[in-house]
Amino acid sequence: MKKLIATLLVGVMSLSLIACGAEKETKVEETKDETLQTEETQETSESTEAVEADITLWTYPIGKFADAETVNGFIATFNEKNPGINVSVEYLDYTSGDDQVTAAIEAGTTPDIIMEGPERLVSNWGAKGKMVDLSDLWDAEAMEDIALTSKAIVTACQSPDGVFYEYPLCMTTHCMAINYEMFEAADALQYINEDRTWTTENFEKAMQALKDNGVETTGVVYCGGQGGDQGTRALASNLYSAKFTNEAHNEWTMNQEAGVKGLQKLVDLSNAGLLSYDAGAVASDELQLFANGTIAMSFCWNASNEAQYASSVAFTPYAVAFPSEDGTPELCGGIWGFGIFDNGDDVKVQAAKKFIEFIADDEVQGPLSVQSTGFFPVRASYGNVYTGTADEARMSVYAEFMKYLSDYYNVAPGWAEQRTAWWNLLQQIFGGEDVQTATDNYVKISNEATLAASNS
Amino acid sequence: MHNSISKRSRALIRRETISAYLFLLPSLIFFIGFVIVPMFMCLGASFFNYTMTDFEFIGLGNYVEMFQDSIFIKAFVNTVVIVVVAVPAVTVFSLWVGAAIYPMHAVSRSFFRCVFYLPVVTGTVAVAVVWKWMFNKYTGLFNYVLDGAGVIDQNISWLGDEKTALWCIILILFTTSIGQPIVLYVAALGNVDASLVEASKVDGATNLQTFWKIKWPSIMPTTLYILVITTINSFQCYALIQLLTSGGPNHSTDTIMYYIYYQAFKLNRYGYGNAMGVFLAIVIALFSIIQFRLTKAGNVD
Repeated sequence: MKKLIATLLVGVMSLSLIACGAEKETKVEETKDETLQTEETQETSESTEAVEADITLWTYPIGKFADAETVNGFIATFNEKNPGINVSVEYLDYTSGDDQVTAAIEAGTTPDIIMEGPERLVSNWGAKGKMVDLSDLWDAEAMEDIALTSKAIVTACQSPDGVFYEYPLCMTTHCMAINYEMFEAADALQYINEDRTWTTENFEKAMQALKDNGVETTGVVYCGGQGGDQGTRALASNLYSAKFTNEAHNEWTMNQEAGVKGLQKLVDLSNAGLLSYDAGAVASDELQLFANGTIAMSFCWNASNEAQYASSVAFTPYAVAFPSEDGTPELCGGIWGFGIFDNGDDVKVQAAKKFIEFIADDEVQGPLSVQSTGFFPVRASYGNVYTGTADEARMSVYAEFMKYLSDYYNVAPGWAEQRTAWWNLLQQIFGGEDVQTATDNYVKISNEATLAASNS
Repeated sequence: MHNSISKRSRALIRRETISAYLFLLPSLIFFIGFVIVPMFMCLGASFFNYTMTDFEFIGLGNYVEMFQDSIFIKAFVNTVVIVVVAVPAVTVFSLWVGAAIYPMHAVSRSFFRCVFYLPVVTGTVAVAVVWKWMFNKYTGLFNYVLDGAGVIDQNISWLGDEKTALWCIILILFTTSIGQPIVLYVAALGNVDASLVEASKVDGATNLQTFWKIKWPSIMPTTLYILVITTINSFQCYALIQLLTSGGPNHSTDTIMYYIYYQAFKLNRYGYGNAMGVFLAIVIALFSIIQFRLTKAGNVD
């Protein structure tokens, strides 16, 4: 017995010694590392060529940035110029990506670089102090070049107090699409203008024409979750040119006359059997119905979706703007770019910035990076990155929609709560609740969330 | 002489005990590290306004807010409905199937066990996707069959209608929950003392009497286990909600587990989520105690 206890004690002591030794060694190495890092940081400031680090990139599925072969190709090109920076990549999806990032933030294991939009990088993680200020990437040249495309992009990438948490790469406007052949058969193409815009009145007439021609379900207002909710928001707000927020993005305004009128119109169309709603479906379900030819239109469309579904549909998906009372739509934008998590390591931050600059700003790589997303460059100087490619004709259609880009209100604080409140609002009004009352409640929830997020 | 034997046996017992504890030690370390410690951390964090940016002691603030939160109340009611409906249904159906397939030939018995166990070993995501297809408002099997049979004249959004969504979730939960109880009941029925059953037959007992007086008491420990496990699983219903309804429509399928996830991961309100987690653990413990008491009262030695 004594032998056993003695053996155990010796074992525990040995383990402790090993652990202590390891700790000391780690500290020595850490000290060395710190010294090296300090030296390297100094070197970095003197010469930008000397950065050596292992960095990680987490990317959401933005076009081919979800494809390992494409991204690895970019990294290989980057490493030709920056052999000391190793970039490892993890691919996120929109179902569990946010949860992975949240868990990483709490565990202190966030990546160095993350690729997504301002609603996450700026108004969520940036506002919570988790991101690095990227103001130095936004030099005068970049600022001017990007502002030439749209000043809304510059505003979207910075916090209300002017700190840049995102460096953008690409953008698009979200639109809707129709099944061209179905519309043609119903003689409903007459209601769409040549420039692919249409009025609310003509939208209703087109619904009626489709219905009269035997189309059982014209379109589906999906509201089973937040997936693709930009489509339903754009549909509801455009019908009577409503605004989701005020200019300062600190107050939600859909309960004003235009917003309520638009929502009421959707309910009326649904009640009249001209439009359907489904609280059990999200955008991916609706897109599948559209691709199957079950429904005549999709409210969740953009250039990337067309590229994705082009080979699987047996009809012509024809992109159109959302209908509005005066025929001039205000389309929701999508902006995607890079942010850097503040992991307290200056060397890694420098390395991450070099990578971002290469992917987004390099005169050869930049346009290629944009092309791979299937969207448009935020830099005006890149011009048409699809010229001479197989995508040129397809992308020119979507390029025409860019002039309708509206305010990027996705950066409003409390965005996450608002998203949930939105699809719950749709479920409530289609379920029979009074539109004004339900919208007031939605605005109340969203304003409370915005206020709370602004004060935190 | 007697004393020395006693000393030796005590030493042996002590040695065996120590050995047993040493064998347990690795599991114990993991259990303490990954279950006990997080439980206490969860309890502690429930008294804080713990978010991605704040960590401030607020006492019972989260608990007070919880009982004033109408969505939490709705989620709790939905969770209780799921438990109250699913647990008896799973138990009774499993017992019925178990009793029906137990006397069968070994091959047939194995076949049925496999059929009913299949949803258990199939991934939740795959199960949810298949059910979602079947429930689809426009192209789903249910609407197709019911429409074809003339039962409905308008397609139903099974997962998008407040009246049907929760029942759809319960149905899926039911199909994924019955596999293990059926296997357990078949095994438990196989262990019932055959001589007792034969004796009861000789004494003129009917099949029903044999079941209630002999078999049912013998399989009571299995029933207790099934009740407790099914109750815990039903209380923790989360994945199906996350994959199929996100708690909608209009919070009609929100469960406490899903609401914990929503508060913690979507809104980063970890403290509030933890408070709900503590509450859920207490409720599950209470239900389990009641089940232990009830089944113990009905048990016959």
